[in-house]
Amino acid sequence: MNAAIRAEKDLADPDLKDVACVLAGDVAAFEGIVRRWQGPMVNMAWRYCRDRSRAEEMAQEAFLRAWLGLAHWRQESSFSTWLFALAANVYRSELKRFPAETLPLDAAPEPSGPASQHCELAAKLSRETVRSAVLALPLRYREPVVLFYFHEMDVAAAAATLALPVGTLKARLSRARALLRQRFPRLEEECVSMEAAVLERGKEAVN
Amino acid sequence: MNQLKTIRTRQTGQSARIDAEIEAILAGEEELLPSSGFLSSVLERIEQEAAAPPPVPFPWKRAVPGILMAAGVFSWGTVKLIRLDLLTPALLRFTLPPLSSAVIGQIEQAGWIAMALGVSLLSWLLARRLAGRGGLL
Repeated sequence: MNAAIRAEKDLADPDLKDVACVLAGDVAAFEGIVRRWQGPMVNMAWRYCRDRSRAEEMAQEAFLRAWLGLAHWRQESSFSTWLFALAANVYRSELKRFPAETLPLDAAPEPSGPASQHCELAAKLSRETVRSAVLALPLRYREPVVLFYFHEMDVAAAAATLALPVGTLKARLSRARALLRQRFPRLEEECVSMEAAVLERGKEAVN
Repeated sequence: MNQLKTIRTRQTGQSARIDAEIEAILAGEEELLPSSGFLSSVLERIEQEAAAPPPVPFPWKRAVPGILMAAGVFSWGTVKLIRLDLLTPALLRFTLPPLSSAVIGQIEQAGWIAMALGVSLLSWLLARRLAGRGGLL
């Protein structure tokens, strides 16, 4: 009964169907997998290095490793969990070999007060500064942050990708937030003043 | 006392607001679209990999006699050296020249200084590791 249900599920899941074809020797079936997962894989790599061309190179390497490792996938977890865990390993070792260019966390500038004419640009720069500061976090705190937001704040999925217990992931996230909070103590007040400036400009434009 | 409590509550509230702001910034990141040639370049690389001949396995059958022979020669040499050492103890031993007690004292002091420096370095590295920073710099 269980085998029948599993076989039916395998047929319904396009990933499992393509995996079965690839394992049977049909290399072209891997195209379906790449088509479905190219966006998430490139986006995940982008969050690791914030360099578009490098993100694509890293994602390509991850797909190649996935293709080579398909025979070893034991189907204990979902295909996506396996793929993301494999990609996380590839991206981590790539960045160990050639680290991304980052400023030390202490050198990331605190967003300054917005000039009234350029408040939208200032807000954008401020957001970019915070995102870049994540790259300057130590790897053990950076990875949970990257994957937590990549998985749209699903702690369990991020923990499964990193093969960490959920509690450990939560603790690392909390520490990462504390480090960022320490670095950007004025962030909240800056954002409020920027929003106020944007609203003010909007009112002026209406009048 | 109440003032302290108010300050603490205010600080906690501020931390939560900063957290929320950081969360909003990180969660609100735009999606990146892969370039148009990405899919084809991945497939091309996979086809290349599929077309490549399988890696040549290590020739264990040929290597095993050589490895065994090398191990035998090494063991034989070790046994010979030990026997030679037992038979002629005075010939091969190196002895330190006689040193005065003042020189020995200085060497001892230098050793203690080196050990103290080593312990300091280790504790500094441990402290950095606990603080979450890797590497020497």
